[in-house]
Amino acid sequence: MINNSSQVQNKIASRSGPEITGRFRYRLKPLMYLLPSALLLFVFIVIPIGYTFYLSFFNWNLIAPTKEFVGLQNYISVFTDPTNQKVMLNTVIYIILLLILNFIFPYLISLIVNFFIGKMKGAYKVLFFIPSLFSLVVGAMLFSWILNPVSGPAALMLRNFGMKLPQWTNSGSMAIIVICLITNWKVFGYNFILLLTGLGAVPRNILDAAALDGVPKWRVIWNIVLPMNRGVAIYVLILTIVQGLQYVFTPLNVITQGGPYYGSSNILYHTYLNAFVLYKTGSASALATVTFMIFLVLLFVEIKFVEGRNRDVE
Amino acid sequence: MNFKHVVKRFVGLISIMSVALLFAGCSKSAAHKVTHITYWHVNAQTLGGASVDKLVKKFNDTHKTIKVTAKYNPNMYQGLMQNLQSAQASGKVPDIVQIGWAFTNYFSDNFKYMTPTDAAQKFDKNKDTITKNFSNQALSFAKNAKGKLVGLPYSLSTPILYTNDSMLAKYGIKKSDLSTWEGVSKAAKTIKQKSGKYGVYIQEPADTWAQQAMMLSNGAQIKDASGKAAFASSQGEQAYQLYQDMVVKDKTAIHTPWNQGMDDFVNGKVAMAFTTVAQASHIKQSVSFKASAQTAPTFKAHKLTVPVGGSMLSITAQKTDQQKAAWTFEKFMYQNDSLLTWDKGTGYLPPTKTALDSSQFKTYLAANPMIKPAVDELPNAVPWTSFPKNGLQAEQDMIDARDKILSGSSVSSTLKSTQEKINDQQ
Repeated sequence: MINNSSQVQNKIASRSGPEITGRFRYRLKPLMYLLPSALLLFVFIVIPIGYTFYLSFFNWNLIAPTKEFVGLQNYISVFTDPTNQKVMLNTVIYIILLLILNFIFPYLISLIVNFFIGKMKGAYKVLFFIPSLFSLVVGAMLFSWILNPVSGPAALMLRNFGMKLPQWTNSGSMAIIVICLITNWKVFGYNFILLLTGLGAVPRNILDAAALDGVPKWRVIWNIVLPMNRGVAIYVLILTIVQGLQYVFTPLNVITQGGPYYGSSNILYHTYLNAFVLYKTGSASALATVTFMIFLVLLFVEIKFVEGRNRDVE
Repeated sequence: MNFKHVVKRFVGLISIMSVALLFAGCSKSAAHKVTHITYWHVNAQTLGGASVDKLVKKFNDTHKTIKVTAKYNPNMYQGLMQNLQSAQASGKVPDIVQIGWAFTNYFSDNFKYMTPTDAAQKFDKNKDTITKNFSNQALSFAKNAKGKLVGLPYSLSTPILYTNDSMLAKYGIKKSDLSTWEGVSKAAKTIKQKSGKYGVYIQEPADTWAQQAMMLSNGAQIKDASGKAAFASSQGEQAYQLYQDMVVKDKTAIHTPWNQGMDDFVNGKVAMAFTTVAQASHIKQSVSFKASAQTAPTFKAHKLTVPVGGSMLSITAQKTDQQKAAWTFEKFMYQNDSLLTWDKGTGYLPPTKTALDSSQFKTYLAANPMIKPAVDELPNAVPWTSFPKNGLQAEQDMIDARDKILSGSSVSSTLKSTQEKINDQQ
């Protein structure tokens, strides 16, 4: 029992003491847990991005003792230099092609495998997934040999039917298509499995109910399955855009080195060429910063329109 | 129980080993100080890497106070340069490196190195302990724009013309007609007409070495005495025009990346290939027809001139001990025996007079006749053009010009604008 005010005071003091440390602990603890990854993120992501931004205002080759300040010159040339413009346009073409090949196409196939095919599902999964296990360098060299327009096996086979493979390495647009196909060979299986798993998670009872009501299959897919599988689909979509540009790098480097005359180069390869072949760190940093901004905008658009709408629906 | 026993034995073994190691370490450091140096090279196992390992092992076995560690750098001289760039940025450079000729000026402008003359003076008290083995011409390959010796020529190569002799015989083409580019162009036409196959492939890697050889052998200059680009001359244009006509107009020459072009030659789809002597062993091993090689063609009434390919060895060590060890290693690498091991393993040509004249090398040549034309060309070899400023960008500009011309752009205006672009940066 408490029967005088000093005792009350004491009690409160003794209570509030641990309470403050408790609250403090409550706030600090999560921060402490976050600290290791935050530190790693800061050292390996934030600082390099900041430094890249800083370097984009200089002419420097990474090792010379002096950096020449050039202001916005590097940024101006990113947008005015005809080579850079060509590379930007190629990048857009790559993104569109990769979206079709690595997102829409595997989505279609996974829908077919999940809803229209009864047998052999496991076999398809394994077959489609196998190429993902190979390195892209191997894939690029393999396809460069198979698709050699003069002496490769594909050309020899076509010759039997009186057809010819075009010299695809001499045309930017054809080289882009072949490079996208090589990337597709690698990425298809992985995206397919992801999307198929998503489709498998759509509750069976909803589908059964729809079937009982006699809803046509395409309506079930369009109005029930696709909206319910949105989370996975968006993940694959973003992966396709962001990783697609990086995946393209390997076959680009192995087969065309961006040629003919930058016809098959994309913004990432061009950044690499500037940074590590020509050692023009400034131009490369400006290109990298612009790429970063573009992705930032894409991410913002995605969060605002796609995820935001999702939340409203819920 | 059994497991416990195994663990016990394992722990025992480990402790004995560590004690042994400890003592081994003690005895070594007590006897003499070992200087460690690293040697960076570009030779994958398929490109003579085994001979690098063999040489390094032999050196380490015979030199107790120096230990050389060889490090392979993928992606040839460009890849090595990229790694060296990062090494320099992080402050930890190797001690001895292979530098491709196209990087001579870039390397000497941006990296700290010890010239062979300084090394000889400092460690041998004699300026020309090694350099006396080289011809002045060979030494000129390794000089920068200021005429300073950056390293010692180590691997030499020249472009030669490989022919599919079975195909040439079938379509009645005499090999003696292929000594000029005009003759090659005519022969390519005949082959195209009679067989539908391609006549010639001229190598297209990420440099314009072979194309420079064509221009030089028409009397053109790539750069003039003042270091300015000068290839957009009438001779330069004429050389490229013939090349463009073969690719674009007549479709008798194939325009494709290097590895595909070599596959096409080896599979008998192209009659001739103009490429480096370093391809000789690959061609010898892969063809199913009779193949041979002859010296690079020239344009009518012009002297044969070819740019030299390959690399030099440069000392990048910064401390005296390491520099001295690197110099000792370099001297070992330039002994006749070492050079011959190296050249047989890689297909490169020896850089020194003594090795070229040795009976061992002559026996090797007799067994590998495809390499002989490349050796015959050596007196006509000139340094690979390395522009004094922004050389890497200049090389890229020349690659771009090749791409444009072979896609059908006007030869004269493309060469002119490229030349202006390069000269603006000088």
